[in-house]
Amino acid sequence: MNEFFVAVGLGLCLLVFLVLYRVIFGPGVFNRIAAISAVGTKTLIILLVLGYVYNRVDMFIDISMVYALLNFIGCIAAAKYLEMER
Amino acid sequence: MEVTLFIHAADDAFRILENAKVQAVGLLDTATRLTSETRWMEEKKVQGILKGAQATRSGFQNFFATFVMLLAFWALLSGKFDTFHLSLGVICSLIVAYLSHDLLFANVRVGDGRVIAQRFLFYIPWLLREIVTANFYVAYLALSPRMPIDPQIITFRTKLESDISWVALANSITLTPGTITIDIENREFIVHALDRKVAGDLDTGEMEDRVAHIFMEADHIYIQDVLDVSRVFAALKRGM
Amino acid sequence: MIASSDDIIIKTIARIFVPFIQLYALYVIMHGHYSPGGGFQGGVILGASMALLLITHGYDEVKRRFPENVVLLMGSVGVLIYAGIGLTCLLLGGNYLDYGQLSVILHVEPAHARSLGILGVELGVGFTVMAIMYSIFFDISTGGILPGDDKLNGELEDNG
Repeated sequence: MNEFFVAVGLGLCLLVFLVLYRVIFGPGVFNRIAAISAVGTKTLIILLVLGYVYNRVDMFIDISMVYALLNFIGCIAAAKYLEMER
Repeated sequence: MEVTLFIHAADDAFRILENAKVQAVGLLDTATRLTSETRWMEEKKVQGILKGAQATRSGFQNFFATFVMLLAFWALLSGKFDTFHLSLGVICSLIVAYLSHDLLFANVRVGDGRVIAQRFLFYIPWLLREIVTANFYVAYLALSPRMPIDPQIITFRTKLESDISWVALANSITLTPGTITIDIENREFIVHALDRKVAGDLDTGEMEDRVAHIFMEADHIYIQDVLDVSRVFAALKRGM
Repeated sequence: MIASSDDIIIKTIARIFVPFIQLYALYVIMHGHYSPGGGFQGGVILGASMALLLITHGYDEVKRRFPENVVLLMGSVGVLIYAGIGLTCLLLGGNYLDYGQLSVILHVEPAHARSLGILGVELGVGFTVMAIMYSIFFDISTGGILPGDDKLNGELEDNG
């Protein structure tokens, strides 16, 4: 079972690199914000999968909740900043 | 000669008939619009009376409901049920509930909470099914080599009343793959849809009906409501 | 200056989430010695919840809910708690922040006293971090100019 979770985590890491292309080269700042949000979501799932690998899901759920929260607030803050710039 | 005259006369007659028809349709349209507007206003008035009759929660009730919810959340997080940690939880919940008792239940009416929670739980499986089916469709769109997408922005006026139901509908739309809620501007939903079929699914308004049913919007008496009441009546009858 | 947002979705979501975020932050502070987290992390989450409220509900609402001077006072009280616990340990004959010494005045075993002492220190750190994060965010978002300072505001607008 552990190998399965490791494989899932590695696959998600690969997907993060795909999205990272949009973050670096993506035309316009909105693409970048959306891509960063997507990277955050992927990281969250990777954290949970890691929790299963290390058998400490309760601990990793705490961390991933904070990560999700800060991702959400950061995304809104960036959007608000752009709205005020306009 | 007579034939051309006859044809002209027939043409005139047809034109007059056509004009009359257009005018009649216009009149009918205005009439229906007027009646629907008056009906809407009447409904608004009745709703206002109903809402006034149902008193909103008092400050203390709000505080207590928030406190109970936060304490349950704390128990879920903490998982330690000895006296020390539970008392810590009670203290923290009290502080947070005092700070934000008017945030969580800003406009929920008395006695609605349990029904809403129950109906929301029954709504989730339906939403999950919608998400999965839409997911397969969007995957087909993305994977087919011709990419037969037809992105469009559709707007529709919602019949929902409260902000929480707007948000529930907007998030349900966004969660369903293929559609994204862009904005809500005075009861007008602006939605980006990936395809005509997806947009058509949205236009049937089933999701809106279900959300309205969850939050018990006043002008929606649904079959589900009638069924609920009939069950109660049946139980009463059996009791007698 | 951040005005109240007119986006109904974000506003409602923030309204519903903020109490839970604050409770979660307090949980992170209180359970710092069992699970990841602690004073600093919990304080940052508390500050983030206030920043969320500031972004969505605007300056006036946040000012009404958490007045800046009260929050700064809480930050100072946090430092006071931290230093107070440390100095109490010092006065009781131990090192600075040597929580084991607290067992004398708390009438509990040293191990339990250590746990309680760490909890108090975490609480102090959390309050301070929250207050400072909030203050920094507040000052950056308003540019250090409050709405009361009409004269200053006017001068700034004149200059561009």
